[in-house]
Amino acid sequence: MATREIISTGNELSAIAAVDAGCEFFGGYPLTPSSEVMHVISDLLPKAGGAAIQMEDEIAGICCVIGASMSGKRALTATSGPGVSLKAENLGLAQMAETPLVLVNVMRGGPSTGLPTRVSQGDVLQAKNPSHGDYKSITLCAGSLSECYTEVVRAFNLADRFMQPVIVLTDETLGHMHGKAVIPTLEEVKAGIVPRKRFDGKPEDYFPYECEADEPATLNPMFEGYRYHFTGLHHDKNGFPTEEIETCRKLIQRLEDKVEMHKDEIELNEEFMMDDADIMIIAYGSVSLAAKEAIRDLRKEGIKAGLFRPITLWPSPDKKIKEYTDKIKNVLCVELNIAQYTAEVERVSGRIGEIQGLYKVNGRAISPSEIVAKVKEVF
Amino acid sequence: MAFNYDKYLRLEKMPTLWCWGCGDGVILKATIRAIDKLGWKQDDVCVVSGIGCSGRFSSYVDFNTVHTTHGRTVAYATGIKLANPDKHVICVAGDGDALAIGGNHTIHGCRRNIDINLIVINNFIYGLTNSQTSPTTPQGMWTVSQKAGNIDPTFNACDLAIASGASWVGRETMLDPKKLERLIIKGFEHRGFSFIEVLSNCHINLGRKNKMASAMENLEWIDSITAPLSKYEKMSDEEKLNILPTGVLKCDTEAREYCDMYQDIKDVHQGKRAKITQADFTKKI
Amino acid sequence: MSLMKAPENTPVWVDTSRCKACDVCVSVCPAGVLSMKQEPTSTLGAMISVEHPEACIGCNDCELVCPDFAIYVADKKADGYKFAKLTDEAKARAAAIIENNYRLPENYGK
Repeated sequence: MATREIISTGNELSAIAAVDAGCEFFGGYPLTPSSEVMHVISDLLPKAGGAAIQMEDEIAGICCVIGASMSGKRALTATSGPGVSLKAENLGLAQMAETPLVLVNVMRGGPSTGLPTRVSQGDVLQAKNPSHGDYKSITLCAGSLSECYTEVVRAFNLADRFMQPVIVLTDETLGHMHGKAVIPTLEEVKAGIVPRKRFDGKPEDYFPYECEADEPATLNPMFEGYRYHFTGLHHDKNGFPTEEIETCRKLIQRLEDKVEMHKDEIELNEEFMMDDADIMIIAYGSVSLAAKEAIRDLRKEGIKAGLFRPITLWPSPDKKIKEYTDKIKNVLCVELNIAQYTAEVERVSGRIGEIQGLYKVNGRAISPSEIVAKVKEVF
Repeated sequence: MAFNYDKYLRLEKMPTLWCWGCGDGVILKATIRAIDKLGWKQDDVCVVSGIGCSGRFSSYVDFNTVHTTHGRTVAYATGIKLANPDKHVICVAGDGDALAIGGNHTIHGCRRNIDINLIVINNFIYGLTNSQTSPTTPQGMWTVSQKAGNIDPTFNACDLAIASGASWVGRETMLDPKKLERLIIKGFEHRGFSFIEVLSNCHINLGRKNKMASAMENLEWIDSITAPLSKYEKMSDEEKLNILPTGVLKCDTEAREYCDMYQDIKDVHQGKRAKITQADFTKKI
Repeated sequence: MSLMKAPENTPVWVDTSRCKACDVCVSVCPAGVLSMKQEPTSTLGAMISVEHPEACIGCNDCELVCPDFAIYVADKKADGYKFAKLTDEAKARAAAIIENNYRLPENYGK
């Protein structure tokens, strides 16, 4: 794959990635530490013919993005934990109406106002179910500066493929980190864009929400002759509200199955020195950078540690995790929250109470030496 | 032949779920006639509605339609319009949707002066959810959330819109549907944020426990609390307290529309013009 | 679906499948053309009925106030129908209908 180098910050890279991936609309609200995404994209988008707007609050920020996306444009918003909490109801509508969008969550200390300028990974569980009801979240987590770019590009393609919101988790460390990123060239990105499916037949033959039980709806852009209805209510094949028993059951089951049955298209992991590892560290996001360094240090001492890094957090790579937890006794989860992903590891591995954890919730990063010390302490 | 509404309706959804005699149907028809007179193509029109009885508006009309979450109509519409500036966007929301939970978005839609047409169907109550107090329910009326009598003061939606900077504000009732149609046409024609308040009857949820159990009694009450602007201006302060003026209340054709101003931003970033400065605006604060 | 086409020589006609018996058209008709009638199978037990079409003046008020697309008025030009002039008799009948709970006095109770 052809690459180029950019020296920038995570937030700026996320903005550049969106525009490169064909994003035409941004709506948002300032929230530390994500504001720079908005600052950068508000210059890049109008230059490229798109539109970016700072709305009056977080909720309006997601609503205008959903509106733009319903009309057919790729759309982005960026926020942090408190913003996702506010956007939750409308994220639910985007799930229900099957509207693609990308939400970049630059995680900071929480809950509530928390630590606005400091790092955490406390929004992992929130990303799984930000809104009420049944649906399946797609959540990606950037683990490096380069991934602040590549994961946003991948998010847009996944959002259009599965016709729903995709959350990209980065964090304050990566958002504000300034360094070198090696990313695909613009040509590579453009060649890899997979736009939404379209129906090209006659409007009278078009039923937007009629599809296979494991496929997303085919929603044509507005204003092109295909007139239909978007709603957050349970709806029939035209998008009109209904309470009919089978229609409602099928709809909700399809929202689950369209993701669950095609997890393989969404799953992405990094396995670092796992071939001969007898200690598995599970970490994601900026923590994985420290984990890799710790593993290099441990290896120097002859301790065979390896890193399993889920890049797609939800749906979780359950089969892969279980494959490893079945054969590796010593498993350590390292996260900047209290056991949020550990809970998932325990659930898919069946090894309740046996997964070790290194947790930090004081707004500071975990250093490689802390990980080394913990490994030596528990194993 | 009578006016052909069928062209604009999703006929398989008829009859509407609105109660017998509900003003929503009359407003729907007036809006359809207005769009027909203006010659707007169905494919170029997007109707965004909120939650409530008025929210069901969008499912009955054959345009590009969106049924949003409660109160967020104007926010969704802002995204649709800004991403598609040459299309026609109509918002329909109730008094609770636009003025309570959606108050902030209404204010800022007005402030931005984006070319959206907001029709606020004010029936002075939360109708769909059965009679809870809304920001316009008169004090002393019975509501299900204040059965001892409503103590919540009301505010004047059109005053709010004018103060927030909407460049076109009008109010009508559905007592005279032809007058309503003419007002809607004026609002739709205007390039900028058009705030159209339509007073409607909810005899089932507001009227029944407030001595206006029939559509006609409710309509008579609405008639008694409104007067054309010209008559209103001649009234004493005491009389004005209980009268809402109808007609075009504000029409500013000079105010620049948001998407037009955003084009300037695109031009700056594409090197077609110099940066925007305070010198470009008459209003400096 | 709907009855757009004017039946032969008719000024006003109704689609009873859409009428919800709200009484509003009856209350605005100046010429006493319309009345409600008893209809046990409908939700409110009543239904719209065109009782005196010959008195219709073509003002279109009934169609304008009907929320349910249930009543249609012929177009003077397109259908060539000659509407009546408003008489005192028609006005009196209209008042009597409204007085009598929107029902034509001679029909009430049928």
